[in-house]
Amino acid sequence: MRKLIAALGAAALLSTTAIAIAPSANAAAPTCTTDSKGLETCTGKLSNGAGYLIKVPAKYNGTFFYWNHGVRFTYPLAGVVTVPKGVEELTPSNVPEKQMLLSGYGLATYDRVSPGGLRGWDAAAGVEMLKELIDVVKANYTVKKGVVYGSSLAGAILTPFIEKYPTYADAVGIMAGVTPSIGQSVQSLCDAFYILSVFADPTIKGCAAMGVKGAAGFYAAAAEFGKVVALLTAWGGNLGAPGLEYPAALKGSGIPQRSALLLTGLLIGLPAKSAHMDGITTSAVIPEQSINATVAILENFGEAIATGTFGGQAISEITGPGFYDNTKTNWFSLLDPADSGRYNLGLSGDGAIAGMLGVLSLAPRVTGDPAAVAKLKALDKSKFDTTKPVVLLSNEADRLVFSGNQALYQDKARAVYDAKLAIYEAARDNAATSAERAAAAKLKPFFNVASLYAMTPETYTKYTAAGLPDFAAAIAPSGVGHESFTKKQTMAWVKILAHAADTGKVGTPGYLQQYIKRAPGLNSDLDYRPADLKYIW
Amino acid sequence: MTLAEIPANAADPGVSATEIVLGMQLPETGAASPGYNKVDDAMRAYFDYVNSKGGIGGKKIRLEVKDDGYKAGLTISTASSLINKEKVFAFIGSIGTQTHIAVIKDINRRKIPDVFVNSGFSDFYKPSVYPTSFAALGTYVTEAKILGKYLKEKYPDKKIGVLYQSDDFGRNSLEGFAKAGLTFEAKKTSADFIAGTQGSPGLASQMTQLKANGVEIVIIAAVSSATAVALLTASAIGYKPEKWAVISVGADATTFQTIAGSRGVPAAMSAAMLNGLITASHAPAPGDTSDEYVAAFKKINDDFNKGADKRFDNNVMQGMNIGYMATGALMGTLNTKTVFSAKNNKACQANAKKGTLTRVCFIDYLNTNGSKIESAAFTALQYSTTTHEAFSGFWIGAYDATTVLQPIGGTRVVYTTDSGNGPVTVSNYKRPAIAADALPKN
Repeated sequence: MRKLIAALGAAALLSTTAIAIAPSANAAAPTCTTDSKGLETCTGKLSNGAGYLIKVPAKYNGTFFYWNHGVRFTYPLAGVVTVPKGVEELTPSNVPEKQMLLSGYGLATYDRVSPGGLRGWDAAAGVEMLKELIDVVKANYTVKKGVVYGSSLAGAILTPFIEKYPTYADAVGIMAGVTPSIGQSVQSLCDAFYILSVFADPTIKGCAAMGVKGAAGFYAAAAEFGKVVALLTAWGGNLGAPGLEYPAALKGSGIPQRSALLLTGLLIGLPAKSAHMDGITTSAVIPEQSINATVAILENFGEAIATGTFGGQAISEITGPGFYDNTKTNWFSLLDPADSGRYNLGLSGDGAIAGMLGVLSLAPRVTGDPAAVAKLKALDKSKFDTTKPVVLLSNEADRLVFSGNQALYQDKARAVYDAKLAIYEAARDNAATSAERAAAAKLKPFFNVASLYAMTPETYTKYTAAGLPDFAAAIAPSGVGHESFTKKQTMAWVKILAHAADTGKVGTPGYLQQYIKRAPGLNSDLDYRPADLKYIW
Repeated sequence: MTLAEIPANAADPGVSATEIVLGMQLPETGAASPGYNKVDDAMRAYFDYVNSKGGIGGKKIRLEVKDDGYKAGLTISTASSLINKEKVFAFIGSIGTQTHIAVIKDINRRKIPDVFVNSGFSDFYKPSVYPTSFAALGTYVTEAKILGKYLKEKYPDKKIGVLYQSDDFGRNSLEGFAKAGLTFEAKKTSADFIAGTQGSPGLASQMTQLKANGVEIVIIAAVSSATAVALLTASAIGYKPEKWAVISVGADATTFQTIAGSRGVPAAMSAAMLNGLITASHAPAPGDTSDEYVAAFKKINDDFNKGADKRFDNNVMQGMNIGYMATGALMGTLNTKTVFSAKNNKACQANAKKGTLTRVCFIDYLNTNGSKIESAAFTALQYSTTTHEAFSGFWIGAYDATTVLQPIGGTRVVYTTDSGNGPVTVSNYKRPAIAADALPKN
């Protein structure tokens, strides 16, 4: 609205008078107010009825940040999820709007509701809604630089967005993002349901029960989630000490249920560190590091499986039922040799590992619908070829969106870069004239992706006097949780994004280190790589 | 970019005109530390000796050591620290299979040399998987093949059983025994335990099982602390097999006696328990003072070792030998007469002339000249572009009453084989003499 302010004169607008301005081509006209400090706030509706919110400070510096929130739910579930009533956040949760506004940034966001009222994983709708939002902003403000950024599910929107609308932003920020696709993660989380059905509760149907549209499908999925919650509640009380009751072949084997839980976590790539458990520290009750890790898996499992439940159900609205198929899954290959060695005791030794994987391999498989499976794998068609700077930020031990997502994004972008580099080098080597050399020089690519990770401290587990994990103690100050970063970490990311938008590049390692140093917990090792996702396609 | 694509003359961390920084991870503290926590002190002592002689090409060697407590979670963070804070040129002598498996993939991804790893796990030494990792021990498969063949032939009428830890180490050992034709019956002549549990339950059920099944020769494929617990528990339940045979990493005498001592067993009693115990070794026994390497290393140990416990045992011998081999490998990489692989020869020779040490040339040297690296062992290093296993040969000995490992029959016979299905044969390798100044001549 700065254009408008300049035209009409600031004095007339230094009030909270509401005015209506021209709408974009698709969205309804925003309604704006300006407070006594010159902060302008605008609200309106996108063409599909979703709300949006814009705030512009008096000292607007010409850079806009467009925030894309994570997943929101379509239906309520008491005590678990609530349905948003409109725009909920304008900035990342731990970055006060005030701080962003004081820095001079314009802020905008939208409540992502796709046609039909679905708030799940409809990334395609999100791409168009973000475009509409930016159209509204550009129609009313002078935007010198724009940053599109977001968290979690937004990763699956921002990547295709910048490829489809490359002139709409100057930098891309993805925090804890499911990127390039939620599909790989959902496959692993559906595996979790399946494995638990073999080892703990044969009534679990998991992702095989998903596919009914609307509220009925949502609550059917929630019922599956409830079965897992019941298991976790029991294990929370006994730390999984009782022996396996299922399958029959392992009943009486002496393998504790916690070993199956740990195996499940390792097979799906769940972090073996959690808010309270560092995977290292021991006590009288937790006598070995891999038992600590088992408790970490237990602590992480609930939220991970919630992602599988509601993510899977939302996906099924797009793919139809039968998107999960494990007929070709090789369970042995999903267990990293490093994990079977490191967590050998928690897994009850080689014999137990072989036994559990053996019965898993022989258990009846889930046969999906080929068409739905194909749709799951084709959810994201991104090329990862944007030349705009992309700054990624993840927690080392994110239990919802595993940090391997970020590594996969980087790999895909790197593959594109390498291909461009090969073309450049061939042109350079074959150039015979100055004109050809000049033309070749223009082909030289730049790897424009920076990957930041927030790490946990080395150790942080606290135990009660009885030697039990103290879940009432403070959680790790960094590196755990989903979309959970310190204010300094998030602001470092924001500042790096702003600089990237200005320069067109993510910044040199030396430049990045300046910000990393100011944000404790951010990894100064820019070559760090987390564990890969279990499925890569 | 693959390792082969890195320019051989690219500048690398951990090397300056005056210094080479090497990094090591091992359990300095915790249950697994006794004995193993002496390896770094011995290695540093040898490097200090080299430094006292002017270093390598004018560069002094600095060894940075991190205590991982034998906890893989800590191994990950200590490795990160060695890479990012200490900026090491290479990892050297890392101890522990379960710990190293947590970091080997990342070290290789970063193309950092990972040399003389103190684990006999054969999967680590496949260059197609881990191109920068090189062993300091013969594999558990190789050792078990040799030990298994010996026991099978020496005790054809005896019931032979095994106690093993059910992990990579134990599995690798069983594979070697099987290749030697020595197989066991589960829950009867074969008893296993989960590594890490030997201290608490005390291996009582395993010893009882072997006793009940009349096992006369007990092989142990486990770490030293498990060996100690097994022998002490057997003694407590009145189980006296005719012979104990132990894979070498679990059979160090001073480690055994230290652990036994911590459980209240007097030294004389623990020495008596060891007397007659059979094990294998790729190098001379530390008590063999007639061996020229032992004599030279012992002198350096006396003069330079600043560790809390500098008693000259297998751990010190291993640390010294790794220091010696690493020095040779670094010298060879900087030797202007060295011939490297065809791909890197020109650049690496140019580097050697300039005194420039790079990771690519160091690894190239190990791949192409590894068998020339001098060592106290009785067989040559096997390094090549197809295997990074260390020693193929072991001799069989038994502890005497003074806890010195003596060749069985009085004469040391070195047997050699591979980790595959090759035969076990007598080695005809002639170990190079150690120079008067105890410095390798690579």
